[in-house]
Amino acid sequence: MNTSKLSIIDLTKRYAPGLDPAVDCLSMSVQEGHLVALLGPSGCGKTTTLRMVAGLMDPTAGSIMVDGKDITQTPVHQRGMGMVFQSYALFPHMDVAQNVAFGLQMRKVGAKEQARRVTEALDLVKLGHLASRRVKELSGGQQQRIAIARALVVEPTLLLLDEPLSNLDAKLRETMRTEIRSIQQRTGATTLFVTHDQDEALDMADRIAVMNAGIIEQYGPPSEVYERPQTHFVADFIGQANFFSAAVLSDDGAATDGERSYTVDVEGFGRFGAVGASGLAGSTHEIVVRPHRLKAVLRQPAGTAIEGVIERVSYTGDSLSLGVRAGEKELLAQMPTSSSGIPQIGEKAYLSWDAADAFIIPGTAQGGTQ
Amino acid sequence: MSTATRTGQVPAGPGLAPGVLEKAKAKRDRRTYLALLAPAVLGLFVSFVLPLIYMIRMSFNEGGPDGVVEEGFTLQHYIDPLTDPFFWQVTLDTFRMGVVVGVLCVVVSYPVAMFLARSTSKYKGLLTAAAIAPLLTSAVVRTYGWMVILGDNGLVNSSLKGMGLITEPLKLTNNMTGVTIGLVEIFMPYAILAMISGFGRLSPQLEEAASSLGASKFKVFLRVTLPLTLPGVLTAFLMVFVLSISTFITPRLLGGGAVQVLATEIYDQTTGLLNWPFAAALSVILLVLFGVIVGVYQRLTRKIGA
Repeated sequence: MNTSKLSIIDLTKRYAPGLDPAVDCLSMSVQEGHLVALLGPSGCGKTTTLRMVAGLMDPTAGSIMVDGKDITQTPVHQRGMGMVFQSYALFPHMDVAQNVAFGLQMRKVGAKEQARRVTEALDLVKLGHLASRRVKELSGGQQQRIAIARALVVEPTLLLLDEPLSNLDAKLRETMRTEIRSIQQRTGATTLFVTHDQDEALDMADRIAVMNAGIIEQYGPPSEVYERPQTHFVADFIGQANFFSAAVLSDDGAATDGERSYTVDVEGFGRFGAVGASGLAGSTHEIVVRPHRLKAVLRQPAGTAIEGVIERVSYTGDSLSLGVRAGEKELLAQMPTSSSGIPQIGEKAYLSWDAADAFIIPGTAQGGTQ
Repeated sequence: MSTATRTGQVPAGPGLAPGVLEKAKAKRDRRTYLALLAPAVLGLFVSFVLPLIYMIRMSFNEGGPDGVVEEGFTLQHYIDPLTDPFFWQVTLDTFRMGVVVGVLCVVVSYPVAMFLARSTSKYKGLLTAAAIAPLLTSAVVRTYGWMVILGDNGLVNSSLKGMGLITEPLKLTNNMTGVTIGLVEIFMPYAILAMISGFGRLSPQLEEAASSLGASKFKVFLRVTLPLTLPGVLTAFLMVFVLSISTFITPRLLGGGAVQVLATEIYDQTTGLLNWPFAAALSVILLVLFGVIVGVYQRLTRKIGA
């Protein structure tokens, strides 16, 4: 067990008595050197959580610990956090170097040391040549980097990023993702990162906390959050998903990673294989199959398959993405391009999956055992 | 317009140099702008520029405290005050009053303007209206109000006496103290309005950024809030300064004749002594004082990059 840099315990924020809490009894811990994404739709409480960690907002209840010390009552200017705002919040009346030096001046760092560290920080974000520019002469991407340099130069206990990429255009966003991740890894700064963009979170984070309505629905590494969603919300919010309601019939033995293989009866489509936690046999759950794991063929295969009609075809190079209507459901599936040319809209397709590629979502029990 | 329609081929003319149409359009636009500006320019010319020229001309006329004005050219009305220590004292007092009232007014209006600019309350509009509502009452009425409050048997003195803090009433009227108090309150709405509109550059996130970087509340104010609100502060100061050195009612009423400033002096020369050329010369001197202050203001605002 590694030591945790940040622990949040039962953190609650209620903006007004009587209102639903914006953050509801939230607990999580962040390991030293990790980049953790707080991911969720707008209004899920992720920014509120970040602002409480920063000290810009007082929690209604709960506590925040950094390095084992309770900092819940510590005023913002004594917390030593490095915060990067969505709007960058660079001081318009100072030049770039003065902006970066601000935190050092507040810490009464000597002039020589200041100059050295400012240069170092600007070099880190590759903008050393802009030190004497006015802030308004910079592009969005440059402002963003200066904001990061300004936050990092004070060697913050935590680096806090509030939707740092949302004001950049799509192409720059891609570049800055890699950039921020590499700066974060070079400096080893423990980082909390608020975003509503699941790609960003999957790409950059060591851990993702998926938030919804003030609580964390799931907290784990990106692959786990994507492959093993614990709730319907997580499966739906992260990536595309096909959902089926399925009665779990029998436990067929151990699968990898302590999971069990099951035979399930998918409502309306017959028997398929799926994996999930132990002890699920006899209950009805939702299962999720990612589109690239839902394989489509044009001829009826030997095993059970879902028969449907192709409604949409999009060619992506390596494979074909299909929209298939099967009964009430509209399913997203994939087909390798090589096989038999491009299928036509209106043609029949047969969909199936490998047992290991369907996951029984534990948080979706319907009805219970019978 | 009519040429183009008549000849028809003008827009597609083969020999037409590039940019000719654009130039014609720019010319038309300019004419429209001028036509729209004309009423304002004309009004300003008749009601401001002409009287100003007349006043400047008047300041060079011969004349004295007998009301007789003779056409002529003399610099006497400029030489007289500029060589008279009494006049220098009055000018200095006027200037000092403008600065003191300006500074005090900005200081007391700053928090109010900051609150109104920041407020997200649904009553923000109502509160702003309340802050500037005193403008609905004339300065004369408000000055009389202050005379009642500050007088020897007024609210302030009788309260202090009642509390046993003083035995003799404080001299709060018929002197510069009373005039200053009155002017500060009377010009507050202007200062508040000027500052609210000047506080736009300051986003709360900048202050949050500063405090997250380790700045205490005082440091945040000093390093971020104040520099970014300085343009609004300067505008408010300039406005109050100009208004107070040109105002005449409050110094006259609350000063009770004991406060001599340029504006009251001009009034006396005009209506009391009927020495119009001298009054005109004093007015020109006051105008020059304005000009100097506005020049300083512009240099300052350019320097702070407003």
